[in-house]
Amino acid sequence: MVTGKGGVGKSTVSAALAVLAARAGKRVLVCEVNARERIAPLLGAPPAGSSVREARPGLFTLNVTPHEAMREYGIMVLKFRTIYDAVFENRLVRHFLRVIPSLAELVTLGKILFEAKSEERGRPRWDVVIVDAPATGHAVQLLRVPSALLDTVPAGPLRGDAEWMQALLLDPVRTALAIVTLPEEMPVNEAIELDAQVRNELGIPRAALFVNAMPEVRFTHEEETRLESLVGAPPPLGPAATAARLQALRAEQAQRYLARARAALDLPTTVLPLLPVAEWGAEAVERIADAIAAAPPQGAP
Amino acid sequence: MTAVRETAASRRIVVCVGSGGVGKTTVAAAIALDRALSGGRVLVCTIDPARRLANALGLSSLGNVESRVPDHKFAEAGLRAKGELHAMMLDVKRTWDDLVARHAPDPARRERILKNRLYQQMSSALAGSQEYMAMEKLYELATDRDYDLIVLDTPPTAHALDFLDAPDRILDFLGNDAARVLLAPAIGAGKLGLRLAQIGGGYVAKTLARFTGQAALSDLGDFLQGFQGMYEGFKDRAGAVRALLSRPEVGFVLVTSPSPISIDEAMAFHERLHAESMPVAGLVANRVTPDLWPGAAPLPSPEDLAPPLDARGGNDPGLARRLAETLAEHQALASAERRALERLFESVSAPYAVVPRLESDVHDLRGLARLAERL
Ligand SMILES: Nc1ncnc2c1ncn2[C@@H]1O[C@H](COP(=O)(O)OP(=O)(O)OP(=O)(O)O)[C@@H](O)[C@H]1O
Ligand SMILES: Nc1ncnc2c1ncn2[C@@H]1O[C@H](COP(=O)(O)OP(=O)(O)OP(=O)(O)O)[C@@H](O)[C@H]1O
Ligand SMILES: [Mg+2]
Ligand SMILES: [Mg+2]
Repeated sequence: MVTGKGGVGKSTVSAALAVLAARAGKRVLVCEVNARERIAPLLGAPPAGSSVREARPGLFTLNVTPHEAMREYGIMVLKFRTIYDAVFENRLVRHFLRVIPSLAELVTLGKILFEAKSEERGRPRWDVVIVDAPATGHAVQLLRVPSALLDTVPAGPLRGDAEWMQALLLDPVRTALAIVTLPEEMPVNEAIELDAQVRNELGIPRAALFVNAMPEVRFTHEEETRLESLVGAPPPLGPAATAARLQALRAEQAQRYLARARAALDLPTTVLPLLPVAEWGAEAVERIADAIAAAPPQGAP
Repeated sequence: MTAVRETAASRRIVVCVGSGGVGKTTVAAAIALDRALSGGRVLVCTIDPARRLANALGLSSLGNVESRVPDHKFAEAGLRAKGELHAMMLDVKRTWDDLVARHAPDPARRERILKNRLYQQMSSALAGSQEYMAMEKLYELATDRDYDLIVLDTPPTAHALDFLDAPDRILDFLGNDAARVLLAPAIGAGKLGLRLAQIGGGYVAKTLARFTGQAALSDLGDFLQGFQGMYEGFKDRAGAVRALLSRPEVGFVLVTSPSPISIDEAMAFHERLHAESMPVAGLVANRVTPDLWPGAAPLPSPEDLAPPLDARGGNDPGLARRLAETLAEHQALASAERRALERLFESVSAPYAVVPRLESDVHDLRGLARLAERL
């Protein structure tokens, strides 16, 4: 499970982890829960839509939409497609199914975890399933669903599902959660809050912290001080010194927030470089994968 | 005065919208501060769960009622306000409660709704609830108070358009006769009920209960029954809010970062506002990388930088090379952003402002005032 604040690099890290697993010869599925599909394009493949597609050898992607997930789940429970279509595909029913709290989350998570435990010819279908989970608040809503159901739902098919889902989520052998953040104030604060929620409420095994888009430390303190006085120089030195000073300031701030994240979160941490590329795509993902391979989070699965 | 500041100055209501984290709250506060400095009575209504704005404004906390930013806070920042700056933070639950109280036909009904478990979860569980209440509060403030300017910040959504769609979605839900019929066959049938009866209302409810559990369905039925008859009042009110938002004294300010994803959202939002005849006051491109090497001259090489560096205290170890690299990287980013923003400014004809990425976060009045100057 990969989560974190909006825009911090969750999809990038998910795609990179998948690339690494595929490089190691594993059969990988990346599930995303996005209105706009991101993973397949990040891997240089056309969008997969809501069915499993092979983006590159051994690496499959799937965008789970609540609507499709509801349909699959409904058909599974009701056994008969015609009944499902009569009841669930009714426009009015569908409309109000959308607003029943937690139902969309339940079927979405159900679909993902069902893939995770599915088998083919007596063997697990996937060696690894990577979930590009939604941003913080929504991710917590999603991952909380099984335990919420166990608290409220009496015996029945739904409870049975909640039970195996929760067992899978809490199993440290099979499940691990990674938090992605940027070395900036708000994302780090959100990561710290999220981590507390994972520990205190969700109980999902925490595995790693990825601090993404870390600017490199390029100038020493002495140089930084010197840059201050060079900023006013005529071009080309002045503008170059200004760019350098902004870079140095940013790197310094980033170091501070990285330190804050490390101090507050006792998680194996991997720092990923800020890549100065205009087009964010497969090539960038490969470089992020290389960076993870070079310094994987210690002790994480 | 620059573009967005100028158009915002002629409005009575400014609504800041944009995708998550682009700087809506910051820009909303800056616009409000700017007008207060130049003499208006201004209110900024924020939806900032992180509560950082309260600190920035020197208020220990912001609640569902307005509080005035104290003069000494301006003085500390080296500012003097000719007008007044008031701020408040939207309390979604309280605003819902007030709305229910206003529309409930009697106290018993009001209590029934307020006590319903589903209703109590609603502010967090029902997507769009925050957005709906933000509009509701805006209407109340705009009709009951006499501020020269009200600036509304909008909630952090992944998709900015949710803000416009949310009220309809929630009203649809509250007014959903089908759901009511499904869940409580005892209450008024109507046309929709008939259609559903054909596929067997009782059967549907039973099937659904297999998914949601009976308790959840009963809560939902009870909830919808509670709202029965109040729907018209809600709908009229939402219509009035919409009418308000299309008046020329209102201006939407679209805030975006220079990233393609956020720009796409701003363009989609603009199209939508245009289609609904809602007035756009301007675009703010926020946290933009400044252009340090304008013009077409080639970027300096390390060899170009070495002599002036030598003349000013030396060039080791390889400082000239690192400077040249850093400037080139900086400019690559700046031009990628500029190209992306040009696409936006060309397709959207509205006044716009480009606000640079400031050296540090904006978290005091001084920072807000600096940002306002760039609007
Ligand atoms: N290491 C990096 N260096 C530079 N830019 C980066 C880096 N990682 C991510 N980005 C930029 O951030 C953008 C968002 O990344 P990504 O889509 O992975 O984030 P996300 O957390 O999945 O976002 P969302 O919350 O919208 O799903 C990318 O398109 C890219 O422009
Ligand atoms: N021009 C700028 N330069 C530097 N930092 C900025 C700038 N504008 C905003 N920020 C900082 O960026 C962060 C996010 O800004 P803000 O909270 O206003 O965004 P938002 O759109 O309201 O976010 P949300 O969608 O979460 O409500 C804040 O820490 C703010 O101080
Ligand atoms: Mg993503
Ligand atoms: Mg905000």
